[in-house]
Amino acid sequence: MSPEFEWQLIVAGTVLLLAATLVQLTALARRRDGYKPTAIIYAATATVFGIAIAGRWVREGQGPFMTMYEILLSSVFSLCLIFLVVSAAMAVARAGAFVVSPLLLMLCLWLVNESAAATPLPGSFDNPWLWAHVLSGKVFLGFCMAATALAVAMLLRGMLSAGRFARLDAAPEEAEQSIWTLFFVAFICHSFMLVAGSVWAHSAWGRYWSWDSLETWTLVTWLALGGLLHARATFKNMPAGLGHALVVGVFALAFLTFFGVPFLSIAPHKGLM
Amino acid sequence: MSRLLKKLASLRLTLVGMIALAVLAVVGSRNPDIGTGVTIWPIALLVFNLLAALLSNKVFRTQTGLLVFHVGMLLVFACIGLTVLTGYEGRVELVQGGAFDASQVTTMKQGSWHDHRLDDLEFFQKDVRVNYLPNFIRLDTNSTIQYRTAAGEIREATTGDQRTVNINGYEIAATFNKGFAVLLHWTAEDGREALGSVHFPSYPSFDWKQVTTWTTPAGQTVEIELELEEPVADIRHSWTLGRTDLPFEVQIGRSGNAVATARNGEFVALEGGTVRVEGLRMWMAYRISYLPYLSWLFVAAMLAIVGLAMHFGRRYVLPADSPMKPRVMEADVHVARV
Repeated sequence: MSPEFEWQLIVAGTVLLLAATLVQLTALARRRDGYKPTAIIYAATATVFGIAIAGRWVREGQGPFMTMYEILLSSVFSLCLIFLVVSAAMAVARAGAFVVSPLLLMLCLWLVNESAAATPLPGSFDNPWLWAHVLSGKVFLGFCMAATALAVAMLLRGMLSAGRFARLDAAPEEAEQSIWTLFFVAFICHSFMLVAGSVWAHSAWGRYWSWDSLETWTLVTWLALGGLLHARATFKNMPAGLGHALVVGVFALAFLTFFGVPFLSIAPHKGLM
Repeated sequence: MSRLLKKLASLRLTLVGMIALAVLAVVGSRNPDIGTGVTIWPIALLVFNLLAALLSNKVFRTQTGLLVFHVGMLLVFACIGLTVLTGYEGRVELVQGGAFDASQVTTMKQGSWHDHRLDDLEFFQKDVRVNYLPNFIRLDTNSTIQYRTAAGEIREATTGDQRTVNINGYEIAATFNKGFAVLLHWTAEDGREALGSVHFPSYPSFDWKQVTTWTTPAGQTVEIELELEEPVADIRHSWTLGRTDLPFEVQIGRSGNAVATARNGEFVALEGGTVRVEGLRMWMAYRISYLPYLSWLFVAAMLAIVGLAMHFGRRYVLPADSPMKPRVMEADVHVARV
């Protein structure tokens, strides 16, 4: 696949996510459930990005691991796909699509502004643990995003006039349960990401932990995930709204760790989530 | 005693420990004056808190997944402690044709319980081959060593990238740091001789600056520069670093501004003796580490994750108070009525 065609696919995916955002915002304003057209757009976006990743992979002879462009490309694909899967298994999670759509659109707009030039994967990085580390990281972020989107919907449900979130109004307990189920899966995946990352770092750089910025903030994110689950068990009367706000806070921390710290760090981990 | 145990097992204390660990991890990693060693205090607090909870909290008797996760976490802390206390990490440069010398190792980290056995290591540097893509992009590193196993057998292995060699528990790994060296034969005025190597800066990172200083056995410090007469690195094509049959000369700065040039086999007179250039070699930098509890740390971490998965299954997938149960009962009643 030529770089020009890859670029066209990315532009097409960005336009699709713009459409998904407009559909979701219109549905929210009109108090309608716009999930079906959104799901079709997500499926199309995942397909378009999947083709772009596969084509780039064949052309460059390596997976999308090295540059911020590749990380964003694979993240939009994986987040789209994971949200589709979660929404298929948990109907109540679809209420979060109005948060997911602009978030993915934002990542796409960032992506189109990044350089598409490839950086070869050094021999020392090419290890099955890199796969385990990256895949578990993507699944973590996907589940954390789904939990956060639903938490935002629950928070807004309490603030906005009734009827905007008919799906949540029908099953608020199920929505509450789903947020914490998704959050717990995110915690398991994050734990595995840390372990796989340490094994990979040991073979790639000769150390399993070195307190570089990304590692430190990943540990802080893990502590925030575990701490929130612990706090929920400790303070049984914690208001649901506070719990939802903290879920959003943990996702914000994870998002900044994934996409923000690689920019600030000068460590070898730079741009390598 | 039991009251103290319950206070120590407090879930609120766990939260305090986790917040303190997060804060000190960030502060310690960003501030070299403080260092990440400060994380030992919240970790110690969490260990005692966890131990007390495992002994006193009844929830662990009924929730196996939670118990497995917390035991796993305790083992993770134990393995990290043992790794820090018994571990060792050092760096050494070895010239092609040269043997490992424990006295040349620069220790980076050494646990207070580490049983220093570097003197027992025997290995010898053979060929070095590093493949590059255009634009100096390093592809694969291949550094061959010959070594003696603990059983006394002589073996040969190539290290680099993912491949390491384990000798008597020490892991030997070739790093990205390597370069050219010249062998120099020193003959003092009194006839005493010595053979050694001078390592030039890492190549190709410093291909523009192949110069270093060398102190002769007579105590004179001279500047010595390597001039390769054929291009080695190729920015446009793939190339391999490792050839030592290249034509070269060395320039040795003597007292004042005088510079002597010597090719392979030629002599240069210096204060207190003469030096003869004996040939071009490669040097390779190795990381030597001893981390006997690292695999146990991995096992403990995986155990904790399995515990989390078990707990997730019990709590979220098939909870004991699943809404499935009343539905089944209602169905039974319905059948009975029919």
